[in-house]
Amino acid sequence: MKRLLSLGALALLTLASIVLAQTSGQATLRTPTGSFPFTYTEQSGQLYVSAGDVVSGLGGTIAPDANGFKVTIGNATAAFGPDSRYGVVREDLIEMPVPPIAIEGKPFVPWQFFQGFLSKAASQDVIWDAATRTLTVRAATRDAVGVTVSLANVQGISKIVLTLSAPAEYGIVKEPQAYVVRFRTPVRAPFGEQVYEDPHVARITFAGSDLRIHLTAPEVAGDAYQLENPPRIVLDFRKGAAAAPGTLQPTPVQKPQELPGIRTIVIDPGHGGREVGAVGPGGLMEKDLTLTIARKLANALASKLGTRVILTREDDSVVSLDQRTALANQYKADLFLSVHLNAAVVKDAKGSETYFLSLEASDELARKAAENENAASGHQSSDLDLILWDLAQQSYLGESSRFAQAIQEELNSATAVANRGVKQAPFKVLVGATMPAALVEVGFISNPEEEAKLQTDEFQSLMVEAISRAVQRYKTDYETRIGIIQPAPPAATATAPPAATGTAPAAPAKPNPPAPGTPQTRTER
Amino acid sequence: MALAMLVIAGACKKKSETAANLNAANKVAVRRVNLYYETAQMLLAPEPRNVALPESAAAAIPVVLRELVKGPAAPTSLRLFPADTVVRGAYLLPEGTVVVDLGGKTLTDGWGTGSHQELMAVYSVVQSVTANFPDAKRVRFVVNGTPAETLAGHVSLSKSLGPLSYLVDPRAR
Repeated sequence: MKRLLSLGALALLTLASIVLAQTSGQATLRTPTGSFPFTYTEQSGQLYVSAGDVVSGLGGTIAPDANGFKVTIGNATAAFGPDSRYGVVREDLIEMPVPPIAIEGKPFVPWQFFQGFLSKAASQDVIWDAATRTLTVRAATRDAVGVTVSLANVQGISKIVLTLSAPAEYGIVKEPQAYVVRFRTPVRAPFGEQVYEDPHVARITFAGSDLRIHLTAPEVAGDAYQLENPPRIVLDFRKGAAAAPGTLQPTPVQKPQELPGIRTIVIDPGHGGREVGAVGPGGLMEKDLTLTIARKLANALASKLGTRVILTREDDSVVSLDQRTALANQYKADLFLSVHLNAAVVKDAKGSETYFLSLEASDELARKAAENENAASGHQSSDLDLILWDLAQQSYLGESSRFAQAIQEELNSATAVANRGVKQAPFKVLVGATMPAALVEVGFISNPEEEAKLQTDEFQSLMVEAISRAVQRYKTDYETRIGIIQPAPPAATATAPPAATGTAPAAPAKPNPPAPGTPQTRTER
Repeated sequence: MALAMLVIAGACKKKSETAANLNAANKVAVRRVNLYYETAQMLLAPEPRNVALPESAAAAIPVVLRELVKGPAAPTSLRLFPADTVVRGAYLLPEGTVVVDLGGKTLTDGWGTGSHQELMAVYSVVQSVTANFPDAKRVRFVVNGTPAETLAGHVSLSKSLGPLSYLVDPRAR
C-alpha cells in the first residue's frame, strides 16, 4: 500500500512536470569534500535539480514516503511532497518558488529546496551560478554579521535596536536629517528599505555597509549606546535640539546593579494603529480600550507598588508583537502583562480569562537540543540557539502560571464577571518574553452588555484595582519565596493563609539559573 | 433540430461518462467526515458531513477544509472564519505536517477579532484535519502562500500546531 502511495506521489509529480519550454543537462555540485555531477532541468526560468543526484553528492539519502520524499543529510532530515512548494525541516518551512516535479519517475526539486534545507539545518550557504552551471555548498559566511532591526515608540522616544549576530566594528555619523551607522565589518542587510509610521523615524535604508536612519524632521535628536549578549546598537530619537552633523560616539552601557525582586513591569496595551483588534457591536475598538486600561493600570502600579512601569505603546501606534516582548527583555522587566478584550461568535459570551504561554513538545525540544549539542563543533547553530531559547522560556512558565492565577482570582473576586479561568495558548506576544508573562482578556467586547460595562469608569477602576492587587500579591509571594521579604510570623489566633500551609518546599525563586551559554545570558538579567 | 438535440445529448452523455471515469480513476467516493465548529458552549464539536473525497489523504485534505470554511449546517453551531476566507491549498507532507494556505480579503487586509475566536478558528482547522486523517499530525498555516505571524494578532503561526484538547467538547475527545 505504501508503495502504491509513493507511486501516486510520483504520478502527481509527473503531472506537475508537463511544462513545454525546458532545457536539461549536467551541472556540477561543488561541496567541501569534492565535486560531483548532477542532472538538472530548467523550465520557465526555474532550475530544478535531481534530488537524488544532489543528495548523493552531499553524502545523504533520499527515500520515498507515503506523502512524498524524505531527505537525510548528516543528522538533519527534511521532506517535500508533490504539488506543494513547501518542504519541512524540523519545525521550519522550506519555501520553494514552485513545487517539485518528476522526470522519468525521479524527483526534481527547485534548487532553493537545498538552499533552505542546508541553511536551516547545517548553517551552509547554497549558491547557484548559472554561468558556470555550478551549485556550490559551503559553510555559511562567518565574517558577514547578520543584522535585525526593530523600532518601537516608548514613552515618546523612538527606540531602534540593531541586533547583531556577532560583534561588529562601526561608527555613527550625523547628517542633516539622518543618522548613518557605518559598519566596518561586513554585514548582511535584512532589507533594502523599510518605511515606518513613527513620529521621529521615517525610514531606514541599507546601502553597502551603511545603515541610514532617515528622520521625520531636522530637530529630531539621537543618542546611541551599545549592549552585549547579544551585541546590540540602540539608538533613541526624540524631539529636541538636534546634534550638529559629525560623528556620534556610542557609549557602552554600564549594567545597572541588579536588584532581586519585582522592580520593573511592562504593560502591553493590545493592538494599536491600523491593527484595531476586535470591534464591539456599538463600535468600541479593542485598541482604544486596552490603551485606556493600560494607562490606568500603569499609574496605579507605579503609585501603589513604587515599581518602574513601562508601556509598550503610549498612543495609537502600531507596535509589532515581537517588539513588545523585545522591549520587555531590553528593559529587563520582571513581569510582562498584555491587556486585551475578547471577542467570540457566541453572542452572549462573557467573562474574563487569563493566558500564559503554551510550548508544545518540550521533551522533543530537549532531545533535539541534546542531539545538536553533541553534533555542534565549536559554535552553536542558529537552530540550537532557537531551541535553547524555547527551553529558556519554559523555565518561566511556572512563574507565569502563578502570575496568571493571581490575576484571574482577583478579577473574579472583584468584578463578579464570569470566570473563564486560566489557560495556556501559543500566543505570539508571549513568545520570547524572558520573564513571567501573561495575557489578560478582561471581558468580551463582542457582547453588547459587556461592551457597555467596559466603557464605564467605575468598571474600569474595578478591573484596574483587581489587577493591581494581583500584581502586588504575586510580588509579595515571589519576594517572600526568594527571601527578600520575611514571611510574617503566624499569629496565634489567625487562620493560617491557605498558600502557606502546604508542606512542600518553596518553589525556586526565580526560574532556575541558566546553564552556561543559554540565551538567558543575552538578556543580562 | 432533432439532429442537434441528439448531438448535444450525445455530448452530455460522453461528458458524464468521462467524469465518472475520472472519479473512478481517482477513487473518489463519498465519505463521512467530522468538521469542527464552535457551539454555544464555546467549545469545538464535530459536525458529521458526507463529502465526495479522493482516496488519498493528500488530495482529500483540501476538499475537507473547503467544506469546513463554508460554515456549519447545524443552526446550533457557528461559523468561525470570515465569510470571504478561501482555502488556497493544503499539502500533506511526509512526517505528518499539513501546510494549509489560507486567503481571502479579510485575512489579507487584517482580521480584527478577539483571541477566543481566533483560537477557535485556527484549532477548528487543526482538529478537522487531525481527527479525519491519521497521517496528519500537525498543521502549519500560511496566508496567501507566505508564512504569517498570526491571523488576527494573537495565535502564533510561526510553528506547526497540534490539537489543543481543552478547546474540544469533552464528549468529542
